[in-house]
Amino acid sequence: MNKALNKPSRTVSHWTKWGSAMSAAAVLASLLAGCSGKDNESESANAGAAQPTGSAPASAPASAAATDNKPLKFTIMADLHTPEVPTEDILKLLEEKTNTDITIQWVPDGSYDEKFQASLATGTLPEAAFIKNQASIALVRSAIESGQFWEIGPYLKDYPNLSKLNPDVLNNTKIDGKIYTLYQERDLARSGIIYRKDWADKLGLEAPKTTDDIYQMLKAFKEADLAGNGNTIGLADRNDLIYGSFKTLSSWFGAPNGWGEVDGQLVPDFMTQGYMDTMKFIRKLYTEDLINKDFPVTSKTDQQNLMYTGRAGMYIGNLPDVKTMQEKTSKNVPEAQYDVTNTIAGPDGNPRLWAVPGYGSLLLFPKSSVKDEDQLKKLLGVFDKFFDPDVANLLKYGIEGKHYTMQDGKVVPIADVKVLEKEATAYLGLALADYTNITPSLYTLPVMEKANNLVKAAADFAVPDPTAALTSKTQIEKGARLQDMITDATYQFMVGKLNESGFQAAVKKWQDQGGADIIREFNEAYQNGQ
Amino acid sequence: MELSASTVAPNPKRTSRWKKRVLRNRYIYLMILPGLLYFALFKYLPMWGLLISFQEYVPTKGVMNSPWVGFRQFHRLFSDPDFWNLFRNTLALFFLNIVFYTPMPIVLALMLNEVGRTAFKRIVQTIVYIPHFLSWVIVVSITFVMLTLDGGIVNDMLQYFGFHEINFLLDSAYARPIYVIQAIWREAGWGTIVYLAAISAIDPGLYEAARMDGAGRLRQIWHITLPAIRSVVIVLLILRIGSVIDHSFEHVYLVINSMNRQVMDIFDTYVYTAGVQQGQYSYTTAVGFFKSFIGLLLVMLSNWLARKFGEEGVY
Repeated sequence: MNKALNKPSRTVSHWTKWGSAMSAAAVLASLLAGCSGKDNESESANAGAAQPTGSAPASAPASAAATDNKPLKFTIMADLHTPEVPTEDILKLLEEKTNTDITIQWVPDGSYDEKFQASLATGTLPEAAFIKNQASIALVRSAIESGQFWEIGPYLKDYPNLSKLNPDVLNNTKIDGKIYTLYQERDLARSGIIYRKDWADKLGLEAPKTTDDIYQMLKAFKEADLAGNGNTIGLADRNDLIYGSFKTLSSWFGAPNGWGEVDGQLVPDFMTQGYMDTMKFIRKLYTEDLINKDFPVTSKTDQQNLMYTGRAGMYIGNLPDVKTMQEKTSKNVPEAQYDVTNTIAGPDGNPRLWAVPGYGSLLLFPKSSVKDEDQLKKLLGVFDKFFDPDVANLLKYGIEGKHYTMQDGKVVPIADVKVLEKEATAYLGLALADYTNITPSLYTLPVMEKANNLVKAAADFAVPDPTAALTSKTQIEKGARLQDMITDATYQFMVGKLNESGFQAAVKKWQDQGGADIIREFNEAYQNGQ
Repeated sequence: MELSASTVAPNPKRTSRWKKRVLRNRYIYLMILPGLLYFALFKYLPMWGLLISFQEYVPTKGVMNSPWVGFRQFHRLFSDPDFWNLFRNTLALFFLNIVFYTPMPIVLALMLNEVGRTAFKRIVQTIVYIPHFLSWVIVVSITFVMLTLDGGIVNDMLQYFGFHEINFLLDSAYARPIYVIQAIWREAGWGTIVYLAAISAIDPGLYEAARMDGAGRLRQIWHITLPAIRSVVIVLLILRIGSVIDHSFEHVYLVINSMNRQVMDIFDTYVYTAGVQQGQYSYTTAVGFFKSFIGLLLVMLSNWLARKFGEEGVY
């Protein structure tokens, strides 16, 4: 009977100990492995801002004979403007038409700059990478100048479409006098006012033509309280001085685009009277409660929601957005009608509007992944095809029959916005052509057609940024951090925390900490270019 | 020259004793192996990157080929006009966080301890503990939605009771208090659990003895409960000091905007905007290096103080 007690207990507890230790270790190890990052080769959107997960460089034997008809394999880093990564139908068609095997590294717009920087710093950029927008050039300028990217200027003439690229726009993309990038076409001046026409009609208001008209309209909107319950907001703005309302408004107060000539010298816009007038205008709107009270911290989504829910009457931004705005607002407020305008007179009575340099984004070819000239030439050949009518239309509109139909030789997108968003819209981020060789759309929404016409007409009175093609060493080193100072001071002035002398003190601080050098360097480059 | 075996070869007796110990406790070592690997790989190994704070790092040249500049980055840091502001903010936020947070879980635990009904106690514990699992993004977003002037619930209530609206989000005077309240709301529940466990380990006989001597509830807390959990408080305090120094980036980054940058910008957020976003790698490594050094000093100081007061420190 006592045999059971004499039985060594080590046998059972030995395995229990072993088993529990091993399972604990295994669980921890698998947790670590699972949390350590996403699959590099997959086309999933990478949300980790500081995790550089560049994919392995294309192993396509670039040294293979030129008669090699194998599909060219490479990876593109592209900006994802939709909430989800799109389906691959369009990608497959694109690969067929260009004889390629493309892996798209989609990076969400919100963290694009950081991901790009991290990939650049770790040398893991893919064969082709877009930069986010023209404001991001400052981040890569020094890398470009130190020779980390291919200079493609000399090769462009060998390709049917690339040789026909707009020389003015190409000029604006030059770094240090050389061309390193392909550009994504954009109309020059796309911003303007989108406002509730039904509200304006009720109050007997016409489209605004001056900044004073804008003020009167906002005041009337607020007093009439057409959204009900005191919820009406005049102007919906957001925390972006450039793509929000500020820069567009500043054009109408005579401020230059980034930099302008005053008494023969280039000065930054915040040192001009027009900028100060704009700040005062918005400050007036703020004190009179004609703008959303938290605009310095409002995101784009929240700003647009204020419009979609019918609370706000005016939106200053990208005119072509009126299509989405009309569709989404109509779901909540069926009687909402939008109208657009961009011909607001500046101080001299003529309309003016700030212009982007003719491109939305730029495409770079890093030397770290594009190993030789041969591979570069093949890549350029592929992107040359992006300007062919069938590829250009594919990327802009989608697949005929699935995403659009043709009517009278014009494109009519399908009505199901959700399907478009899931399958087609994201590919706009890859498209290079915006109007070259593109079939025109048939506009089912009249205000959208008006918006497009206004945008095209604005090219006539668009004001360029004279420093777009110039380099300033100090601007590259400290420019961004210094600009933050001015941005903060601008917001603080507009909400009444800073007065004029306070703002001027901030400007002086900007100058003392390096701004004066930036002014000097840009002026020197400007004189040399004249 | 002849080298004797004992000075050249490692002492055989010593080695085998050490080996024996590891072998005997092999399961435990196996269990902590992943944790050790984690710290080795992610905390110790990357330290070699601190080298670039003595260089002018150029990403394409790599660490070995970038030019060495000695202490130039550190000079740049100390002569940066923003330096003192960053230093002040870092310390201010740190002290506010520690000073206002520390009593909270203790008070909560004491209160919960007094509750008779275990079911109610458990429910409250769980509710209080849940915010710990929310990410900072959620906590800050909830705050934003509640405090916004354009329809936030807090301002609506203020107006309902006849008060003026308060511009919480844009007034820099509210930035730090909001930061502290968010930290307390999120973390207090976590500390409460630990303290409750410590309190439940106290010998009930002590309370009986105190009651017989005529001690009321408060006196019992003051003379029995608090001294008994004193060591736990000290240890958690030292650990929290380390964690606040290291992990407040996410929280502060989400709260910062143009209005409150002056009072909220700390070394970590500066490292992020100037380093990751604007590409000044060497400079911001120097900044981070300096900040970590301050953090180390603070942890060592608090540990030494703890020992001075007769408590066990963390090490």
